[in-house]
Amino acid sequence: MSNAVLVLAEHDGKQISDSTYELLGAARGLAAALGGTAEVALLGPRDLAGQLGGADVVVSVDHPALAQYLPQASEVALLAVVAERSPRLVLTTCATPGLDLAAALSVRWRAPLAAYVVALDVADSAVVATAQILGGKVLAELELPGEHGIAAVIGGAFPAAAGRGDRAPEIAEVTPPAELDELAMSLVQVTEPQGGDVDITTAELLVSVGRGIESEDNIELVQDLGDALGVPLSASRPVVDAGWLPKTRQVGKSGLTVKPKAYLAFGISGAPEHLEGMRDAELVIACNTDANAPIFDVAHYGTTADLFDLVPALTEKLDQ
Amino acid sequence: MTTRIILGALIVLAGLSLAGVRLSWLARLVRSGQPAPGRLAGAPARLAAELAEVIGQRKLFKRWRSGVPHALVFWGFLILLFTIIEALGDTFISKTFAIPLIGHAGALGFIEDLFTIIVLAGLAVFTVTRLIESPQRRGRASRFYGSHTTAAWITLGMIALVMITLLGYRAAQVDTGDFPYGRAAFASHAVAAWLRPLGHGANSVTETVLLLANVAVIMGFAVFVTYSKHLHIVMAPLNVAFSRRPRALAALGELPPAAPADAPQLELLTWKQRLDALTCTECGRCQSACPAWNSGQPLSPKLLIMGLRDGLMSGDGEPAQVIGGDVLWSCTTCGACVEQCPVDIEHVDTIVHLRRQLVDAGDIEPAIQQVLQNAATQGNTFGKSGRMRARWTKELGFAVKDARKEPVKSLWFVGDFASFDERLQVLCRSLARILRDAGVDFGLLFDSERDDGNDVRRIGEEGLFQMLAEQNMEALRGASFDEIFTTDPHSFNTLRNEYPAFGLDKPVLHYSQLLGRLLADGSIPVDPLGMRVTYHDPCYLARHNRLTGPPRQVLAALGCELVEMPRHGLNTFCCGAGGGRIWMTGPEQAERPSESRIREAVALGVDHFVVACPKDFVMYADAVKTTGNQDRITVIDLVQLVDRARRAVTALETV
Amino acid sequence: MRIVVPIKAVPDLVEEIELTADETGIDREFLAFVVSEWDAQALEEALLIKDANGAEVVAAGLASDPDIDQALYTAIAKGADAAVKITGGEGEPVLTGERAALLASYLASEPADLVVTGVQAADDLDGQLPPMLAARLGWPHVSVVVGIAATDGAITARQEFAGGRVHELAVRLPAVIGVQAARQAPRYAPISRVRQAMQAGGLREVAAEPSRGAPAPVVRRMFRPERTSRAEMLTGSTDDVAEAIVGLLRGRGLVKG
Repeated sequence: MSNAVLVLAEHDGKQISDSTYELLGAARGLAAALGGTAEVALLGPRDLAGQLGGADVVVSVDHPALAQYLPQASEVALLAVVAERSPRLVLTTCATPGLDLAAALSVRWRAPLAAYVVALDVADSAVVATAQILGGKVLAELELPGEHGIAAVIGGAFPAAAGRGDRAPEIAEVTPPAELDELAMSLVQVTEPQGGDVDITTAELLVSVGRGIESEDNIELVQDLGDALGVPLSASRPVVDAGWLPKTRQVGKSGLTVKPKAYLAFGISGAPEHLEGMRDAELVIACNTDANAPIFDVAHYGTTADLFDLVPALTEKLDQ
Repeated sequence: MTTRIILGALIVLAGLSLAGVRLSWLARLVRSGQPAPGRLAGAPARLAAELAEVIGQRKLFKRWRSGVPHALVFWGFLILLFTIIEALGDTFISKTFAIPLIGHAGALGFIEDLFTIIVLAGLAVFTVTRLIESPQRRGRASRFYGSHTTAAWITLGMIALVMITLLGYRAAQVDTGDFPYGRAAFASHAVAAWLRPLGHGANSVTETVLLLANVAVIMGFAVFVTYSKHLHIVMAPLNVAFSRRPRALAALGELPPAAPADAPQLELLTWKQRLDALTCTECGRCQSACPAWNSGQPLSPKLLIMGLRDGLMSGDGEPAQVIGGDVLWSCTTCGACVEQCPVDIEHVDTIVHLRRQLVDAGDIEPAIQQVLQNAATQGNTFGKSGRMRARWTKELGFAVKDARKEPVKSLWFVGDFASFDERLQVLCRSLARILRDAGVDFGLLFDSERDDGNDVRRIGEEGLFQMLAEQNMEALRGASFDEIFTTDPHSFNTLRNEYPAFGLDKPVLHYSQLLGRLLADGSIPVDPLGMRVTYHDPCYLARHNRLTGPPRQVLAALGCELVEMPRHGLNTFCCGAGGGRIWMTGPEQAERPSESRIREAVALGVDHFVVACPKDFVMYADAVKTTGNQDRITVIDLVQLVDRARRAVTALETV
Repeated sequence: MRIVVPIKAVPDLVEEIELTADETGIDREFLAFVVSEWDAQALEEALLIKDANGAEVVAAGLASDPDIDQALYTAIAKGADAAVKITGGEGEPVLTGERAALLASYLASEPADLVVTGVQAADDLDGQLPPMLAARLGWPHVSVVVGIAATDGAITARQEFAGGRVHELAVRLPAVIGVQAARQAPRYAPISRVRQAMQAGGLREVAAEPSRGAPAPVVRRMFRPERTSRAEMLTGSTDDVAEAIVGLLRGRGLVKG
């Protein structure tokens, strides 16, 4: 066993994701506390190691099956990595690759896993994770007993800046396991979000709608406000799942992370998954009829006015 | 005479057999419907209805301009049956034929002539009405929009021909000396004076021709009737006889047996619903009164019934669904159509019946699914924790009795809207304080109360309604009380009319009744308010349950001057929230019913719009805003008025 | 094709959540439970496969889950062909690892071609069910799936990434799929059909023998998040609020004029 903290790198074959740097930042802090190294498992093209200057060691498995993310390929490769490096702690995200791999690794590596982690600590050489469950209503302090542990961390829990760096990390190559040549799955096609749609991540101001909008017909009401402000609409997951707005407009986990100068949230209750994607907006103004909605915990200004009254009133004021 | 008999016989035989074949086909069509239980029970009430609705033409007088002429034409037809018998007698028996027992009394001759003229005058009024109300001119605003207007004109023309040929052959008989009546048959004699110059021979031919023409037109009309919307002449008396009594409102009608979710719509119809469809005379009274139609939605009760009839008539090859979901979901179940219908068609039952099939097939919009799911899991349509139901009582400053733990005299069934909507919780607290100060021994079911199920049932989720009713009954059985009162007229309706089937045997009141009682016996001392107000009758209080008096008694006791809106009492206009509509979004409406209503009230020049229903409070408060009338009118609940009046007393006492 | 859909009852989040006296768990005694929303999506996806290609859909719940009978009968009312209640284990399996053990044992006794279940549940502490179950069974697995198309002996699953990128994966059966969202909103089960299903009975109990799995995390304590900050609430009429918001935006130069 080592005291290394190993981060699972997420990438699309070309670019390391921001979430990886968030994890790497956390890993460096923990590694320092444990007296180990901060390592990154890079499953895929080895040249991506150049983007991982914040790591002490980049553990690389390079194989054609890993060129693009494939759940089974990454799983066997990750197993090979932990078998070789035997880290104290493995960190993944709680988004797509993390949701595939962390729990599978827990079973196959026989290591305890803490999910939906928002904070990590080392106390008396024990790793303690704080997990957020039940829609953010409860926090659980979990100890990861034994020699190894895994934490699946929600986005935005740690700053990405701490994970960047310009060192030249040691590259440790791990031989691709033979199973990579006989997988039970293959990638048929990759669909990028439909082109031509706006990019909400670059907007200075966003008008965002949630479940409170009630029906597709009411989207028009908020669209009018967006038009009056000259800004695009974004949305929380239920609105996108219902097909009322395209996926490219979804803010939050499994959607996009936005950092506009101002974020207007209408009828968004503020599930943790959503807050993950917008908590760094400079100004958050929330409208929700439920005065206890969690969105008011991150908003700077709030109102319990009925959005069906407020939105037209705003549009009218702006049109004047 | 022989030619006359042969020609007459041919005409009558052809007419009767054509009409007979058609009628027996129609009878088979009706009888192949699903069973409709309880349609014969209560014969005295049915007979009374027959007398009032058919003979008395009661509901037609709601629109007197067409109702009065219709009644006169109808009564005219009853009288003119005598002339038909006489015409047939003249044709087949002898020119001196007289009806046995009555003979050729002068009075009969007079009445026959009188009604001939009256019917012709009635036809003139109908013609004018149809020209003024022409759908070509008025579009959707015409009550005849979508009706078969050509058939209507043919009908008017044929009736006119019957009258003209009748008068003609009678006049010719006067001139040939065969007319059995004296000068009392004034019209026949007047026309005879014009025909006299033609001479005896020509008059004799005219008499035969017009007599045969009269018989022919009557027979032609009889055939035409069976092929057109004028079938109501035959069907209306039957439909009135078999309709739900006292009226097809309040409780929903008996459930027909369950059908598979993918059964064709027409196969679901009971024989009574089929009879309804054949009876509709396309008069459009329902359409004019319908809040959905008036706000530009796809539902017209008339077109819905006509659609079902067209589906039934055309037989095979019909699509499985004759009436679309957009039409069915437009209904607020306000009952204005049922209230108006002169032939007692049961629109609301049919709409809910067809909605049940949509629900059974899972064909419901997501917003409604969510509401139903909430009612099933949390027991309230708001999707809030059931334990929060009585939370509004916490700010009262005194404890409200728990009827599950100690006996109370009056059990307050609060309902979802009043319990969970913050704007309405304020009203609940006012009422609670008023009742405490009036010494009323009342209590709540707290978190054992569930959604009452009235709207759930009208959405068409029958199973969920039954589940909710059973859950509420379990709580009610566990409580000790003498009477129930409700905040919501919708809870009132189902508790009063539908829960007895689940075993509820206590009186159910609406809070307006309770307040009326307490004001009358002096339990709530008040000072007159001296306000000028108008009052909106909730559909489920007024139309469905005929309670128009108690809220007005409360207003009178509070010293309010009541200015009635044109649509009030049983003819009240729905706010648009009933039947589950409050949760539905649907297409943008031309003018929401609630907005139309606020404009109606503002036109009266009163500054307070009094409501007695939580949904009305919410709907109209919104409509005042969306119509920009905040400065002109304020929505106020009956409870707030009582509170205001008694606050004046309290103020006097403390001075 | 036989599709097994594991269904989990989770605390209804509209309810106030109480902690146990020792503050290491959720007090489940007075809590209301509902079917996990992702499991409802998974069931819908399975039923869509059945509608399109024909399949035998079996809903599977743990006998110890609160109100699980209702959830399973609802699944039947929606169109599942059968439902099983899995017994075994000790007490209420709160951890996902324990659930995976029970389900893996059941699936060993009654094999399936495809397991479709919710990608996560609101009260997962130690990880998500689909990968844990797949790892125990040794089957391939894909999570965060937003649509499945079935072909002979294989499926294609649409896996979604943050930002909307979608990978279409061909997966050999048997496999486990974690569903994020079905292709359409879950269908409604009329209560009368749920009641019919209840009257017909037909929940089959199957005893499972769970084997030990990965060590679990140890709960030191649970607590409610402290509110670190709170929005300043804008009050007054709708018009006042609108005015204030426009003022805030204008102050940051986000509104012209």
